[in-house]
Amino acid sequence: MSDHHEVTDKAVVRIQNLHKYFGSLEVLKGVDLEVRRGEVVTILGPSGSGKSTLLRCINLLEKPTGGEIWFEDTCITDPNTNINEVREHVGMVFQSFNLFPHLSAKKNVMLAQRKVLKRSNEEAERIALEQLAKVGLSDRSEYMPSQLSGGQQQRVAIARALAMDPHVMLFDEATSALDPELVRGVLDVMRELAEGGMTMIVVTHEMGFARDVADRAVFMDEGIIVEQGLPEEVFDNPRHARTRDFLGHII
Amino acid sequence: MSTTKKYSTVASALRSFVALVAVLSLVVCVVGPTPEARALTVDKTTAQPNQSDGNQIIGGVPTRITWEATVGDDEEIKEIHLVFPAGTTLGEGANTKATVLDGLARLETPQENTITDEGTVIDFAEPVASGLLIRVEIFYVALPAESGHYTLTGRYVDGEGTERELEESPAIAVISVTVVESITQWLDEQPWVEWWNSQLFLRVFFNPQLIVASVPTLFQGWLRSLGLVLVGFPLAIPIGLAVSFLRMARFRIVRFFASIYVNVIRGTPLFLQIYIAFFGLPFLGVSIDSYLLGILVLAMNSSAYLAEIFRAGIQSIHKGQFEASASLGMNAVQTMFSVILPQTVRRVIPTATSEFILLYKDTSLLAAVGVMEQMMFAKSMVASSGNMTPYIVAAGYYLLVTLPLTKIIGSFEKKLAAAEGHSSEPPDKKKKRKRLQKTEDAPSDSFAPPHDNFRRGNGLMGPKI
Ligand SMILES: Nc1ncnc2c1ncn2[C@@H]1O[C@H](COP(=O)(O)OP(=O)(O)OP(=O)(O)O)[C@@H](O)[C@H]1O
Ligand SMILES: [Mg+2]
Repeated sequence: MSDHHEVTDKAVVRIQNLHKYFGSLEVLKGVDLEVRRGEVVTILGPSGSGKSTLLRCINLLEKPTGGEIWFEDTCITDPNTNINEVREHVGMVFQSFNLFPHLSAKKNVMLAQRKVLKRSNEEAERIALEQLAKVGLSDRSEYMPSQLSGGQQQRVAIARALAMDPHVMLFDEATSALDPELVRGVLDVMRELAEGGMTMIVVTHEMGFARDVADRAVFMDEGIIVEQGLPEEVFDNPRHARTRDFLGHII
Repeated sequence: MSTTKKYSTVASALRSFVALVAVLSLVVCVVGPTPEARALTVDKTTAQPNQSDGNQIIGGVPTRITWEATVGDDEEIKEIHLVFPAGTTLGEGANTKATVLDGLARLETPQENTITDEGTVIDFAEPVASGLLIRVEIFYVALPAESGHYTLTGRYVDGEGTERELEESPAIAVISVTVVESITQWLDEQPWVEWWNSQLFLRVFFNPQLIVASVPTLFQGWLRSLGLVLVGFPLAIPIGLAVSFLRMARFRIVRFFASIYVNVIRGTPLFLQIYIAFFGLPFLGVSIDSYLLGILVLAMNSSAYLAEIFRAGIQSIHKGQFEASASLGMNAVQTMFSVILPQTVRRVIPTATSEFILLYKDTSLLAAVGVMEQMMFAKSMVASSGNMTPYIVAAGYYLLVTLPLTKIIGSFEKKLAAAEGHSSEPPDKKKKRKRLQKTEDAPSDSFAPPHDNFRRGNGLMGPKI
């Protein structure tokens, strides 16, 4: 149970009856989800259940086939919405980090600040160093991504997203690509972020993290949300057989 | 040092003397009384061209001087003294021969001749009768090494034994001996060169004298070929980049036209394109400087190849890079220029350099339409010398560019492989670490095959240019 940060009533992300097809394959079959400011929601589910697709729909990396997605007061599925303006406020962390390999850690964090937020070089640099310090990489700011470990790269990626002052952070299996000994550092950063009140949607297989940090656990299977609730309820008392099955395999 | 100085002083004094004489004779011609009929009228003075790849007379190198004069009415000639210009030297076997001609008929003329580097004396056993033409040929005589106009002066002795001054003979234009010519001359005298040139293969393809003569001449061609590619290729880069964008455009019709451009140019010989441009444009009344047109055709041709190189390069960038940029709110142009192209550049440098090499070699095709470049220079030297050596030297000039570039590509590829293979270590600490091999969608390091998933699918990540 996480009572260390405040969940408000205001919805940051609201998803209504979301459908997504890849060709004739229906990957999301009518998903409804609301995430409120300050809330940490973790999405669980077997491989192929549509977790990543759901997350990627939220910043339109995937284009929904049907339904509506609202970010604060903007309907992002409305074709007239400038999606880049929405994306500024929606941070995303990928499984494969996706750092810009030709830029140092610091420059990775600075680039979008300069180009999108039009911050001055000095300001972008100051914020970059601040964010890198937050993820524990002050001494690595001049390193190239190829000179960093996976865990360090992922923390730079988190700093890069945070530097944009996002209203919500999306994590898609941020630790799955990491060697076990590197997972912890990244999870610690995410935990701190949650405690700092960041709104987060976290797709993860880290059950410990989901249980300790999340305000709500959402279990997905075959493109629908099967059940959701307080993490301890979902983990300890799953109501659905599919949830039980899944948790039985994992834990 | 001092001898050279003395020599040049003499030469310049001589030159001013010649000039003075020229001016004076002009004055005499214009204002003086008409010259009385001469016993001996000089008709011509020429020297045989002795330039290895030209038709000029160079100083310091043996040549053959031909001097002709006609014996005047009621006169006879017994002796002729020709004085060489100061600085004249004799080659080995120098000699003088006089021929007397009656119209076309050659008359038997016993004579006794002497030659020194001051001049030559022709002493006829029988006086030469009036109306006859005397042709004096002086073999293996080297005119002064300094460039200038030289005249033969002298005297003659008529039938009555009177010695008279010869009239001024026409001047021979001499150009100074160049480094090449002196090396060539030196080579001519070397026994090993003689042996070398006695071997048919070596003489025809690796003639030492022609190598020496070709190097400076073909250097001009080399510069012009380099000029073609050094202007043409940079011109092809932005065109190629633009076409590669069009090839990936969102609209089918744009992609269609871009692919026609690329496929037509890549699917037809450059030679044909050159012909169409050079013979087609005049029909349209368009006249462009041929060198410039050559550059334009090369640039257009290369742009099609570069477009494909750039496209493959851009598409080899992992789609995660587009997604990460998009997730940060960057638009297509920002993504392209700040994220994708900087990574593409490093990947395409080896292939683009290969394309540069191909284009450089292809400049030779422009010889077919008369653009002055390396091949043209080589061709004309081959034509004038009847020897293949200039082509071999031209090959050397091409290799001078292509070999180092090939080497650079090789080392760059190695460096790139090392950098992209994430094998470089932190600046201060050496530490063992693993790559993200477990990730199913870890960034691909391989350049090929390019995937184009950012063009298909939702069209959100692709370049929207
Ligand atoms: N771009 C795509 N084109 C076609 N099919 C896709 C695409 N992306 C995902 N899918 C399919 O959609 C389904 C859901 O994929 P998704 O990545 O959302 O699953 P997931 O729950 O994140 O699984 P995992 O835990 O393995 O990451 C899968 O069957 C997948 O093959
Ligand atoms: Mg996934």
